[in-house]
Amino acid sequence: MNGAWNWIWKGGGIVLLAYVILRGFSTPLQPGLVTATPSQLKLGMQTVTLTAAGQPFGKEGASLSEFTVVLRAGDQLLKTETQEVQPHGITVAVNVPGVLPSRALDAFVFTPSAGTLFLGNACFVEEAAKGDIPASYVANKPDESTPQLGFSFPFQPNIIESIRNLLWHVPMWFSMFFIMGLGFVASLGQLRTGKVMWDLRAEAAVRTGLLFGLLGLATGSLWARWTWGAWWVSDPQLNGALVTVLLYSGYLILRSAMGDDDRVGRLAAVYNVFAFVMLVILLMVLPRYTESLHPGKDGNPGFNKYDLDNSLRAVFYPAVIGWGSLCYWMYTLRLRMNRIAYSLLSR
Amino acid sequence: MALSLRTLRNAWTVARLEWQLEWRQGHQLAAVGLFAIASVYVAFQASDQRTDPASWTAMLWLVYLFSGFTAIGRLFDRERSDVRRYLQWTADPLGLILGKLFHSILTTTALTALVLGAFILFLGWPQGAGELTKPALLVLGAWLGGLSITVTLVFVSAVASQVRAGSGALGAVLGLPLLLPQLILSTRLTRGALSDTPWAILAEYPLFLAAISAGTATLACILFPYIWRA
Amino acid sequence: MFALTLLNSLEGFFFGSGKAHVVTGVALIILAGLAIALWRMDRRLSRLEAESKESHR
Repeated sequence: MNGAWNWIWKGGGIVLLAYVILRGFSTPLQPGLVTATPSQLKLGMQTVTLTAAGQPFGKEGASLSEFTVVLRAGDQLLKTETQEVQPHGITVAVNVPGVLPSRALDAFVFTPSAGTLFLGNACFVEEAAKGDIPASYVANKPDESTPQLGFSFPFQPNIIESIRNLLWHVPMWFSMFFIMGLGFVASLGQLRTGKVMWDLRAEAAVRTGLLFGLLGLATGSLWARWTWGAWWVSDPQLNGALVTVLLYSGYLILRSAMGDDDRVGRLAAVYNVFAFVMLVILLMVLPRYTESLHPGKDGNPGFNKYDLDNSLRAVFYPAVIGWGSLCYWMYTLRLRMNRIAYSLLSR
Repeated sequence: MALSLRTLRNAWTVARLEWQLEWRQGHQLAAVGLFAIASVYVAFQASDQRTDPASWTAMLWLVYLFSGFTAIGRLFDRERSDVRRYLQWTADPLGLILGKLFHSILTTTALTALVLGAFILFLGWPQGAGELTKPALLVLGAWLGGLSITVTLVFVSAVASQVRAGSGALGAVLGLPLLLPQLILSTRLTRGALSDTPWAILAEYPLFLAAISAGTATLACILFPYIWRA
Repeated sequence: MFALTLLNSLEGFFFGSGKAHVVTGVALIILAGLAIALWRMDRRLSRLEAESKESHR
């Protein structure tokens, strides 16, 4: 029975991870607008090119009449003339009036099959005076098509293709907290029973958790450099992660400072329980008093759609379970190693 | 684990012993005072009395943090070993930790007076802070923040004292990450007290700090017997 | 000079917009990290094996 169960969760984890990696790299990204050139518009007639990332939203030489681009200033729409459609770009001619409700223009691209693409603050018109758009420049809101994109990941500004990191980076933290929670329970068991097997469990859990924590930090740092332009930003998630790694490094330092003192198990358990509780407090305190750039938090509402997006969810949940089972697997290996080391030592 | 009258009497005895020890071995207290005043003086020299509220706060809490380490860091190894063994046999662990925690309240009060006093004496109020409208909140914040720090340090020094080799540095290594939530809250509160943010918005900080102090003290009481029963 | 060029091309590789290379980087970090952890565990197990053989003799 036990053997069969072992096969199921280990093999299941591997299968899930294989599915996640295949799906994660092969699923196309939904199209989304990235830049507008030029971003500074003059008054009068000119052309603007909007470039897009993700899967193509138009074919080469597609029928121009099917694509409509409007620019929005304040709550009024400015009409444009579509001139060229490419798989990842669309060029329009626009006549910019001298008066606009706002100097910043948002761009909307209405496509026949990819829905409506949006780029906030796409262009700026420095010279425009404030006022209503003259009637002859105003566009009517075109009909929206329902996107028919198949299984695809949502487009997020700034994040774009790197949304796939969600399947690698985030499960590192989930796994770490899962295994640190296990370590906390093991430490409680150590304190209650005083048995060394609980201590071996706690140590294996903390070491495995630290590995995943460090991987989370390293990958997060690389992703942050890509998205936010800095290797490290002050952000509750990042600070919390760093403190977690520091706290548990303290656990290992305490253990190694104790050497082969026979009280090491109990003392380490005491520290682990205290550290875990402080960690929970810290994770409660930090987000309340520091602003976050992280998805789904106040500073960046961009990822709120995550909870609703079924395609991402269909890969993200298996990723969490797959990495979690891999993490647990590594924990059991380390635990077995700890047990052998202990039995050798005590013989 | 029961909180009996005997435990409380024990706690009181330990706290009194600590305090007497503190006075009798004057160098302990003098060391903390010297550390605090010297580091404030360095801050004063470096900043020429021109500090903005942010750096004033940063310096205040750095000085406070390391004064706390100096004052509490060796709380559990300073009794002579025979006194220690005597305590181990006679005092129950709960009484002992309660006594040490009570002592940490007194230490916090002394440290707050010392550090804040030295800051006002040397550095004055930060520039650009305008009229200081909430002196009570500033003092309360310093005291509560300090309390949450010293309570955690009592626990840390109890753990570190069990390690035979070099518990001093170990205390700092274990203590700093554990102190981050307290320091985040304390610094925010001090900056709020120096700005014109109204009381009502800042009121949750002291409450949170008090809750953390109470929580860590309870946790220390629950866990201490496991450390002590060596 | 060569190192600088290499660094620049690396930056371009990982941080060029619209590409998924940052995902490659993240995946590589994780796989490398896990590989190092397994490698170290392997070495420690070899040591333990050697010790246990010695104590059986």
